[in-house]
Amino acid sequence: MNLATATTTVPAVAHAPIDTAGLTERISIRGLNFYYGDHRALKDITLPLYASQVTAFIGPSGCGKSTLLRILNRMYDLYPNQRAEGHVTLDGEDILSPKQDVNLLRARIGMVFQKPTPFPMSIYENIAFGIRLYEKLSRHELDERVESALRRAALWDEVKDKLGANGLSLSGGQQQRLCIARTVAVRPEVILFDEPCSALDPISTAKIEELIDALKAEYTIVIVTHNMQQAARVSDFTAFMYLGELIEFDTTSKMFTAPGDRRTQDYITGRFG
Amino acid sequence: MNKLYAARRRKNSVTMALSLAATLLGLGWLVLILGVLLYEGFSGLSLRVFTEMTPPPGAAGGLLNAIMGSLVLTGLAVLIGTPIGILAGTYMAEYGRHDRLTSVVRFVNDILLSAPSIVIGLFIYEVMVYPMGHFSGWAGAVALAVIVVPVVVRTTEDMLTLVPDSLREAAASIGLPRSLMITRIAYRAAKAGMVTGVLLAVARISGETAPLLFTALNNQFWNSNLNAPMSSLPVVIFQFALSPYKDWQALAWTGALIITFAVLALSIVARTLTASRKQP
Amino acid sequence: MSNEHTSKAFDTDLQDLTSKVSEMGGLAERVIADAIQALTRRDADLAKRVVQTDPAIDALQQDIEEKAILTIARRQPMAVDLREIVAALRVSNDLERIGDLAKNIGKRVSALEGDFYPNKLLRGVEHMASLVLGQLKQVLDAYAGRDLDSALAVWKGDEEIDAMCTSLFRELLTYMMEDPRNITFCIHLMFCAKNIERMGDHATNIAETVHYMIEGRPIADQRPKGDTTAFAKAAMT
Repeated sequence: MNLATATTTVPAVAHAPIDTAGLTERISIRGLNFYYGDHRALKDITLPLYASQVTAFIGPSGCGKSTLLRILNRMYDLYPNQRAEGHVTLDGEDILSPKQDVNLLRARIGMVFQKPTPFPMSIYENIAFGIRLYEKLSRHELDERVESALRRAALWDEVKDKLGANGLSLSGGQQQRLCIARTVAVRPEVILFDEPCSALDPISTAKIEELIDALKAEYTIVIVTHNMQQAARVSDFTAFMYLGELIEFDTTSKMFTAPGDRRTQDYITGRFG
Repeated sequence: MNKLYAARRRKNSVTMALSLAATLLGLGWLVLILGVLLYEGFSGLSLRVFTEMTPPPGAAGGLLNAIMGSLVLTGLAVLIGTPIGILAGTYMAEYGRHDRLTSVVRFVNDILLSAPSIVIGLFIYEVMVYPMGHFSGWAGAVALAVIVVPVVVRTTEDMLTLVPDSLREAAASIGLPRSLMITRIAYRAAKAGMVTGVLLAVARISGETAPLLFTALNNQFWNSNLNAPMSSLPVVIFQFALSPYKDWQALAWTGALIITFAVLALSIVARTLTASRKQP
Repeated sequence: MSNEHTSKAFDTDLQDLTSKVSEMGGLAERVIADAIQALTRRDADLAKRVVQTDPAIDALQQDIEEKAILTIARRQPMAVDLREIVAALRVSNDLERIGDLAKNIGKRVSALEGDFYPNKLLRGVEHMASLVLGQLKQVLDAYAGRDLDSALAVWKGDEEIDAMCTSLFRELLTYMMEDPRNITFCIHLMFCAKNIERMGDHATNIAETVHYMIEGRPIADQRPKGDTTAFAKAAMT
């Protein structure tokens, strides 16, 4: 299914026209609906995700932002009775197609979760494990890849002397960076962050945010966050969702100073409910 | 202090006294049993117990053939039962978590878990001993395996269910296929719990007498042929304890002591593993 | 704001800021009126009072600044709230400057004490002052009532004041040439007129702030560039 996705038209939601010059639309979401059984959790979402930009999904609990994120790497496939309808393309390739190899897709679209989820193995193995899935490397090459992934995640200096230690022996913030290193090691094109800092203290949070900033040059980054200040800090674009609908999508600078939609404004200024 | 509060306090002390009494009663019996066991068992304990065969009445002897028989039967039962149990548990926890089949299997498994072991012995007698025409070590091992399976199924399923979904999602998120996710991630995370399950199953079958009476029966002599009747500690204890001979009775006590300590050791190992799982 | 924050204390903080700005605005209006009255009647006592009021305005401005900074630190305001706080900061800044300008007029009145000058010299200044005062009143009302149209009207009205200032300068120059004895007074008057014109500019600033606060973006057109007065030209050479 080849859609005319090259056109960088922005979705028909409230916002001033975005200057899309110089931006590449890496992931295109067009008319996406999502169902948990009979419940329609996402309603007609149309949204561009630009390369080398950080896009934040914000909105109150249950608005569908995590659901939307989990469609992008087909995580919902793990569970029965969940289905997506519509078009989501990664560089023009249909993600939702049944022919799409889910595991290869997930190698291209990595994900970092709310709670740190190191595998029950050594720090070294946590990283090497994912690499070995796709590449056959010599011991030396593997060592280098593990080191570079850990360096990218700003964790190398803290763990280089204990690579054999269990990943679970690290602190929460370190575990989360280990997970980021694990994701980066597979060399994805897109990284999805699902509330990556909600279980972390402010210092660890700052480190992760710093990391996101450093990674964005090479990856398309999408982050779901409950923390609006965080969205304001790390993202270039922000999408506000409410009750399964995309209410507003705009540059972050616009969204947090002068949002176009009343509901967006009420949410980000804390006037909800 | 008001009346209501005083009444509540009274009620509280009565309940506490009753609970304490019940606890003491239960513990009292346990201490009594262990005391008698230790006294009687230790008096008959000697190196000979581990080096000589079961004797005829009046002669000196040991429990070597029974101990070996128990080890062989238990080992075989675990070898047969564990893979079946783990595979079934894996299906239930990983592949068919939302299937109807899983709930049916779980229900049947729970029945099997609480089935009287003599029924299992009788069943194996019908399907193995009777067609073969003789009692055998194989039949005993299979009977014990039937007891092992539900225990392992249950613990495997429980332990895999305890592995957080977030870990599965994390594995999936780097593109790990499900089979690898189970063998490389989920098993590893649930390892301690699953081993504990197997150890508990071993503890359970090492004391079973009833199923063995119908299947492996007993053997006075050293026997390594699994097609022949085989000796085992519980059956020997059963037989010797009921006998009128003093030396046989003493050996029965010693055998009981050995089983008790073996089971105790297994429980301690199992508990240590469980504790270490909680504190990685 | 028709609907309230989940955190009521946040609403209180914002209301507090707005009412402090209004209070300051009232003080600024009064101080302008007093300064002009002191000038026209050459009332040294009133002029003195004008000068003495300035510290109160300064104190209010500091108070608003502290409150605004504290609110930003504590609430991390976003969107309209953030703009409202920034607006309070900016408006209070403008009002503080207006206070300073009024004080300057007051000081000049004290310096002129005792001399006699024809009243016709004052008429133009008086007229301009009443115009600026009207502008300030309107823009403060626009601020308090979140009235976009009213703020835009003030913003556009600045051109008129600038033009008036230019013609007033010409007029005063004429008086000075007519009679050199008027020079000292007229130069003071010129400074007063310049001060009043600057007050008008601050009113325009406030109008822009109100627009930003309501709309979230600056006024699209070019700001009426006022300063084409002869005085400014003279000052540059």
